[in-house]
Amino acid sequence: MTTADLAGRMPAPPASPQVATVPRSVRRVPTWWRDASAALLWAVLLYVTALWVGGGGLGDLGSVAGLLTSTGRLTGLIASALLLVQVLLMARVPWFEQAWGQDGLARLHRTVGFTSFTLMVGHIVLITLGYAAASPAGLWGTVVDLVVSYPGMLLAVAGTAALVMVVVTSVKKARARLRYESWHLIHLYAYLGAGLALPHQLWTGQEFLSSPFATVFWWGVYAVAAGAVLVFRVGVPLWRSLRAPIVVSDVRPEGSDATTVTVSGAGLAHLPAQAGQFFIWRFLSGSGWTRGHPYSVSAAPDGRTLRLTAAHLGDGSAALTRLRPGTRVLVEGPFGRLHPGLRSRRRVLLMGAGIGIAPLRALLEALPQQPGDVTVVQRAGSPSGLVLAHEIRDLAAARGARHVVVEGHRAPGRDSWLPAQAAHLTDAQALLELVPDVRDHDVFLCGAPDWMDAARAAALECGVPADHIHLERFAY
Amino acid sequence: MRRITLWVLGTITTLVLLFSYNTSTSSAGGAPSSVISGTASGTSDSSGASGSSNSDGSSSSSSSSSSSSAAKTSAAKTYDGDSVMTQWGVVQVRITVKDGRITAADVLQVPSENHRDQEINSYAVPVLNSEVTNAQNANIDMVSGATVTSDGYIRSLQSAIDQAGL
Repeated sequence: MTTADLAGRMPAPPASPQVATVPRSVRRVPTWWRDASAALLWAVLLYVTALWVGGGGLGDLGSVAGLLTSTGRLTGLIASALLLVQVLLMARVPWFEQAWGQDGLARLHRTVGFTSFTLMVGHIVLITLGYAAASPAGLWGTVVDLVVSYPGMLLAVAGTAALVMVVVTSVKKARARLRYESWHLIHLYAYLGAGLALPHQLWTGQEFLSSPFATVFWWGVYAVAAGAVLVFRVGVPLWRSLRAPIVVSDVRPEGSDATTVTVSGAGLAHLPAQAGQFFIWRFLSGSGWTRGHPYSVSAAPDGRTLRLTAAHLGDGSAALTRLRPGTRVLVEGPFGRLHPGLRSRRRVLLMGAGIGIAPLRALLEALPQQPGDVTVVQRAGSPSGLVLAHEIRDLAAARGARHVVVEGHRAPGRDSWLPAQAAHLTDAQALLELVPDVRDHDVFLCGAPDWMDAARAAALECGVPADHIHLERFAY
Repeated sequence: MRRITLWVLGTITTLVLLFSYNTSTSSAGGAPSSVISGTASGTSDSSGASGSSNSDGSSSSSSSSSSSSAAKTSAAKTYDGDSVMTQWGVVQVRITVKDGRITAADVLQVPSENHRDQEINSYAVPVLNSEVTNAQNANIDMVSGATVTSDGYIRSLQSAIDQAGL
């Protein structure tokens, strides 16, 4: 079984000049950022639990009413702390984003969100039952009294309604039936929900009423979260995009299924972009400009231009073909953990499928390397899917890297990263055939989610340690 | 852009109306369901009306000895217990003693700073007051849901009883 069995034809290279690049310094991501951010999450949860214990939460568990009310308070505190964490997860704080990746944060956001919501519902039920058990007013009387007489409670009810709306539309089935834009706008109500729920915590919540320090601290922590959103989601992107105009300078088809767009502008010199990262792009060209699309940078950033290559997968990417040079661009970013700063071994395997090869082509260009250090495996279902193959071939030749093309449709019914003609091999065997010493490599993966899962499983089976496998999901 | 305009207007409307409601803008908002008044709204029997009628909000701070306030009959005397500091505020009990019997009990101070305290104490205090006249000592049951107030009440009550020499 030789490499020739796996390689397919490559498309004829068009006469296109390569982008000249100046290598930029590699910005490493300190490993302690992950630990620090996890410790921060743990500290917030610990603080609210300690508040509860300190406020006599354990002692109150003696009577039925006390048990209900006390556990109701605890669930409320934890739900609120988790809401705060939710806001921080989506605030695009650079240290969190670089430590976990945008996709990692989004998956955590989903888990934390549903947990927080469940605890919030538990809080409402327990507190209502607890207050009703201790008062002569009965259940309905208690509910009415809670809503209309207690400070901040009417706001809290509205906040709950907003959060219910957000959670209900985020359940997978409901979300699939909504347009992304509609879903996203409804999701923004979560900010309102969290904000409206805050006053009742501080004006009616026992732990805060009895401790001015806790009250000041909690307002402060929420203010910091709100500030983080304003700074990192709104302020920084606006500043980066508007300080000097960023405009489209070149639009070029890349085969029949993809387009390469180059943008330039003086402001790009200040963007700390590294090869392999992605931005969220808004092209101000008529309708649909409010929608941002994540596209990876496909050439090493040189401080003057940024180049993206995107496949025609939806309305937004198909519209790229109609972009005209001179169109103004707004960018958010850079985001992503598929960059030279995450490389920790001398040998690197870059494996990409379809348009996923784009950030890896940028990595090939920017990674400091000796001949033989880097291997590129490019996978596609058909020749038209071998995007940027000619550029990769030339770059690999110039740097002494290996470029292997694996073309062919997947065998149906089998979860594999291999094409049908290699179906006699297991995923791991084929990987070992191509890269015998893969267990000493850093592996960077990019492609469709299922393909990446299969490739990752193969790499793990070949002995690559899990924290040396880097991948980026764009669908979550 | 029509639908988004509707949503924005609807959201703003809801927010404006929400914040116009009185409980939404300060920690002291909301009308309590019943107000703690000095006079025992509970069931203190016999000469309760004569003994404790002048305890409306009068807060004698630290431990005062027997005040000879409104002694309508020769033997009825009122005793103010210590001001006991609890987690939620000060509790101070006044008892009226006639012929060696506690004829009435009421609070001079009870935590009432926020709505929850007001609500709890509006039903707990009358219960405690009537228990004192039934038990004639400080061995009364706590009111469930008002353990902090009950605890302060009992301690203040005990000091009043000690002063009365019962």
